[in-house]
Amino acid sequence: MEVVAATTVKLTARKIGDEGVQADECFREELMTVDVNHLLKYGLPSIGFRSFTVFLYFSNMQIELRQVVPVPLKDKFMQRQSDVWNRNLVFAQGEWAKIKAPSGTGKTTLVHILYKLRHDYEGLVLWQNKDLRTIDESALAQMRQQQVSIIFQDLRLFPSLTARENIELKRVLQKPLYETEVIDAMAEQLGVGHVLNQRAGLCSYGEQQRIAIIRSLVQPFSWLIMDEPFSHLDQVNMRKAADLIAAECKKREAGFILTDLDEDDHFEYARVLNL
Amino acid sequence: MLNTLLKKLIKASAGRSRFILAVMGLSIALLLILSAVQVEMNYNDMLNNSNNRDSVANFLVINKNVTGSGSTTLSDAEIADLKKQPFVDATGLLTPSRFKVSAQSASNRIPFYTDFFFESVPNDFIDVQSADWKWDDNSNYVPMIVPNMFLTMYNFGFAPSQGLPQLSPELVKSLAVQINISGPAGTVKYFGKVVGFSDRISSVLVPQPFMDWANAKYGSAQNEQPSRIIIKTKDPGNPALVDYLKAHGLTTDADKTRFSKIRQVVNLVISVSWVTGAVMLLFALLVFTLFIQLTIATAKEEIYLLITLGAGPKQLRRFLVKQFFPPNIFIVAVVLVIIAGLQVWLQHVLQMQNIYVSPVISPYTITTAVLVLLVLWVVNFSTIRKYVKHV
Repeated sequence: MEVVAATTVKLTARKIGDEGVQADECFREELMTVDVNHLLKYGLPSIGFRSFTVFLYFSNMQIELRQVVPVPLKDKFMQRQSDVWNRNLVFAQGEWAKIKAPSGTGKTTLVHILYKLRHDYEGLVLWQNKDLRTIDESALAQMRQQQVSIIFQDLRLFPSLTARENIELKRVLQKPLYETEVIDAMAEQLGVGHVLNQRAGLCSYGEQQRIAIIRSLVQPFSWLIMDEPFSHLDQVNMRKAADLIAAECKKREAGFILTDLDEDDHFEYARVLNL
Repeated sequence: MLNTLLKKLIKASAGRSRFILAVMGLSIALLLILSAVQVEMNYNDMLNNSNNRDSVANFLVINKNVTGSGSTTLSDAEIADLKKQPFVDATGLLTPSRFKVSAQSASNRIPFYTDFFFESVPNDFIDVQSADWKWDDNSNYVPMIVPNMFLTMYNFGFAPSQGLPQLSPELVKSLAVQINISGPAGTVKYFGKVVGFSDRISSVLVPQPFMDWANAKYGSAQNEQPSRIIIKTKDPGNPALVDYLKAHGLTTDADKTRFSKIRQVVNLVISVSWVTGAVMLLFALLVFTLFIQLTIATAKEEIYLLITLGAGPKQLRRFLVKQFFPPNIFIVAVVLVIIAGLQVWLQHVLQMQNIYVSPVISPYTITTAVLVLLVLWVVNFSTIRKYVKHV
C-alpha cells in the first residue's frame, strides 16, 4: 500500500489482556503527526500502553462503513456472507479497492449510498468521520466538486449537450483544475477525440462511457467511485481507460472504489472485497 | 462558461408567450401604480405650492354675518382661535382702507368716475403673478388687482347698456387710473394701474406696504380691527370647517366647491389606478411564479443530474435568479422612463394653464418602484428556492 509520507493520524489505542479490566475502560485517543511509513515499519511511538490494537484514522479523506445494510434488501442480505454489508469497514485515504459483486447483490445500491444518492439504509456511512446523513446540501455540493468523483453505471450524460460540453460542465462547476486542452488530450488518449463535438445522445454506449470517464477525471477528488466503468469497452479500450484512471488517481494521491461483476487485473488493487 | 451550459440545459422556452404576457401585465401594473403615486405627489405639489395661480388649494374669505346689530369686526382672540383649527393651513388679514378713495379715468377717451375702497392681503394669498406687484415711496403708481368679476360685469352688463366699448384685460392693464385719496388733510392724487385680475378675493387689492403707509397717513383712527380674514384650507367641504363657521357666526363668500370636486375626481382616479395596479401586479406575480415553476419542472431531470454531479443549490439559484430577475429590472426602468416623460409633458401642459408642477418625477415614485422591485425579487427568489428544493 502506498501512503502519504507524513500525515496527521488519530491513534486509537485499546488496552487488552489486563485481567479484571474491561477493555473499553482503557481507551485512549491521540492525535499526532507521524511519518506513516516509519510507523508501519517500526510500530507506534510509546504512548504508555503495554499492548494494544491500533486503528489508524487518517484525518484527511477516509470512508468508513458501520453495519450498513440497505433497508429494502435487508432480509436477503442478512442471510448471506458479505465483506461489506453489515460490517465495519474503513477505506483509508488513497486506497484502491475493488468490490466484486455478482448481479443482484446491491452493487449500484452501495455506490449510490456512498455517493449520498439514497438514504434507505441502516448503519452509518462516515466521510472524514462525518455521518453522511448529516451533510447538508451545500456541503454535499462542495464534496462532489472537490473530494469525490463518480462514474455511473448508467453513465448519466446530458443527451442534449455535446460530449465536450458534458465534460466542460464538470470542469467549470468548481474552480477549474485543468485547462480545457486537457479534455482534448484525454479524449485522444481514449480514442473519442472525434466525437467531442457530437451530441452525447448520439454517441454509442462505448463512446459515452469513455466521455463519462473523462468527465469524472477533470475535477479535483480524493475518491473516485466507479460502477462497472468498463462495461461497454473492449479489451484495448479498457486498458487505455484503466491507465488513464490510474495515472489521474496517482496524480491526486486519490483512492478509488470500483465495483464490477468479475475478477480483473486492471489496477493494482490494495484490497478486493466480495459484496 | 458554466452559465452558457446551464442556459442550454435549463431552457426558459417553455411558456415563453405566458412570460411575455406576464411582462406586459407587470408593465401596465407598474405604470398604473407609479402613475397613481406620481399624480398624488403632483396633487400635493399643487396644494402646497404658493406659486399656483389657479391653485387647487382653497382660499376662503371669512367675515361675520351681518345681522344689523352688533359689531362685525373680528377680535384678536377670535382670529387666534381660528388659526389654531386643524383645517386652517394659513390665515391672512384683509386690511381695509380707512380713508375715502375715488378713481377716475386719466384720459377722456374712456371717461369714468367711481368711489370705492381698497383692501390688502399678504402676498402669499394673492393668485396673480406680476412683476409690477410692488410698491414703495418712490413708485410712480399704485398697482391694483381687481376681481375678474368686475371686468365681466362691465363688459357684459354695464358697457352694452351704456353704449360703452368693451375692454380686454390687456387694455385695462394699460390704462392709467387717477386715484383720489381723501384724508383729514384734503384730497391727494395718485396714479394707479391694474396689474392683474383675480378670482380669489372679490375686492380691489393694493400692496400691503402701500396700504400700511396710506392708512397711517390718511386713515382715521376708527375701525382698526379687521373684519375680514382669508384662510387657506385643503378642503373647504370639510364638515369641521363648516360647523366651526356656523358655531361662531361666521360666513364665507362664494361657492368654493369647484376645487373639491376636482379633488374628488383626482382621488377617485388615484384609487382606481391603485387598485387596478395592485390587482394586476398580483396576477403578474402569480404568472411569473407559475412560469418559474414550469421552467424548473420542465428541466427537472437536468437539474437533478446537475445536483448529482455536484452543482450547488446556491449556484443553481443564482443562475435562475439571473435568468428571471433582470427582465423585472428592465421593466421597472422602462416604466420609470415613461412616467418621467409623461411628467415632463404634464408639466408643459399644466404650465400653459398656469398650474405649476415639478418637471421631474417625485422621489416617492422612485421609492415605490424600488419597493415593487424588492417584492419581485423576494417572490422570484423564494419561488426558485422552493422549487429547486423540490427537484
